[in-house]
Amino acid sequence: MLDIERVGHVYETPQRRVEALRDVSLSVREGEFMSFVGPSGCGKTTLLRILDGLAEPSGGRIVFNGHELRGVSRDIGFVFQDINLLPWRSVRENVEIGLEARGMPAGQRRETALEALRMVGLEDVANVPPYTLSGGMQQRVGVARALALHPKVLLMDEPFGHLDNFTRETLQIEISKLWSKLGTTIVFVTHDVDEAIFLSDRIALFQGQPGRVTRILEVDLPHPRWEFNVRGDARAIEMRESIIEHLGVRQEVLV
Amino acid sequence: MSVAAVRGRRPSTQMLEPLLPAAAVAVVLGVWQWSGSFLSPILISTPTRIAQDLVELFARGVIFSPLAESLEELVIGGSVGILAGIALGVLMGRYEVVDKVLSPFVNFLNATPLVVIIPLVIIWVGISQNARLLFIFLITLWPVLLNTLAGMRNVNRGYVDVGAAFGLSETQMLRKITLPAAVPFILAGIRISAGLAIIGMIVSEMEVSLTGLGYLLVTYGNSFFTGRLLAVVFLSSMFGVANVLLVKWIQASFFPWIAGAAADQR
Ligand SMILES: Nc1ncnc2c1ncn2[C@@H]1O[C@H](COP(=O)(O)OP(=O)(O)OP(=O)(O)O)[C@@H](O)[C@H]1O
Ligand SMILES: [Mg+2]
Repeated sequence: MLDIERVGHVYETPQRRVEALRDVSLSVREGEFMSFVGPSGCGKTTLLRILDGLAEPSGGRIVFNGHELRGVSRDIGFVFQDINLLPWRSVRENVEIGLEARGMPAGQRRETALEALRMVGLEDVANVPPYTLSGGMQQRVGVARALALHPKVLLMDEPFGHLDNFTRETLQIEISKLWSKLGTTIVFVTHDVDEAIFLSDRIALFQGQPGRVTRILEVDLPHPRWEFNVRGDARAIEMRESIIEHLGVRQEVLV
Repeated sequence: MSVAAVRGRRPSTQMLEPLLPAAAVAVVLGVWQWSGSFLSPILISTPTRIAQDLVELFARGVIFSPLAESLEELVIGGSVGILAGIALGVLMGRYEVVDKVLSPFVNFLNATPLVVIIPLVIIWVGISQNARLLFIFLITLWPVLLNTLAGMRNVNRGYVDVGAAFGLSETQMLRKITLPAAVPFILAGIRISAGLAIIGMIVSEMEVSLTGLGYLLVTYGNSFFTGRLLAVVFLSSMFGVANVLLVKWIQASFFPWIAGAAADQR
């Protein structure tokens, strides 16, 4: 469905030349939850930006539903690591931004935005400024903003990276529920191996600089995952060990 | 850690701290008043004398027409200058060609101490109110222009990414992302420009043709009416204070998110 074909990326700045990705190929299947896991600086964000059309690959191409991807696609939504809610807009107006870009009339826009906020449990704060929300609520708004456009693919760049463990686990369950309810394809970047195992159908391991995909694992656990103790599951523990061994670092170093 | 925790170690000093500015002003006024007992009143007069003269300027009504003249020039020349500065800044920020063409002139004129062009302005439009307006306009234009441009250049990358990821057109990007994000810079520019407009107002009233507060300053100075002179000086300071308060008010009433977002950054 979303095919990454021999993608490479080089950043050229006056000071230096950074090869962020080399020869990365993998296919995201329709409806699956796929995570990218790897140490800092191995090009995960770069690849996600390329998938969203925010950056062009220096080599290779992205094929989405049989067509080469050029620029930003209507069917792909993005949840930023830094969220970047616009402080001069209310929560609801932030969720409306993509709808405005599509020229949707105001009344319909409002309804669609409120519906997206309802999905993440935030319709009560639709009219407050975003900076009055907690970090976890802000990240939910970031998710609602992408969901409002009903994307076929949702790209999420370490969305829970800044949050405390408690909020993080709540949001993991919420995103897992949203995913099973909506059937959206999700590509999810994280540093957290447990988070990747809890959420994903498959995990792609990234390594090195330039970054490359060095292994792809199937997560062979039943859904829904929030109904049993994934962390204590023998298969999950084994998979965790194997990922950490493969990446050649201990979890503490990875984070 | 709060400022109080760093600075005020003992509770007693902490409680006195808010009174410190008032106390400092009181001491200076006291010494100034006392100096009147041995210095000639022509040198710096005294606070009570100045206050009396100020009241009298209003009571006798001599202040009203100069004040109105000054205000009119300030408001017209200053607001036209500020609006033109914002407009030019937006054009330069939006169109690279405009920026390339204008930036040498903008930077040169911004670097020039513009008082030197008063004779030129007089040659252009004669000794008239238009000359004063033109001078205020010319001195006001640059800071707000450059600030607007800087604001548009310094938009948080993350906001621009949001605009791009959610498919905004270039015009939408300007209206919905770049301009709102530049507002804090533009407001700072307005404050600086309005401050210069006040200077421009007084200077042109003293140098182009004697009117308004500038006329009163020159007349009272030449007649050694130091008390009245300083009363007018005090009034000019009030223009500056009003400017700062006005910009603060605009920010708090129309752009409350500026303070809110800054507090959220921590
Ligand atoms: N705009 C840029 N200009 C120059 N180099 C960049 C730029 N963005 C990223 N890089 C470099 O490209 C490499 C990959 O960066 P990227 O942000 O994709 O890594 P990442 O895997 O997302 O890391 P993290 O897990 O820390 O977010 C890094 O070496 C980084 O320094
Ligand atoms: Mg990253």
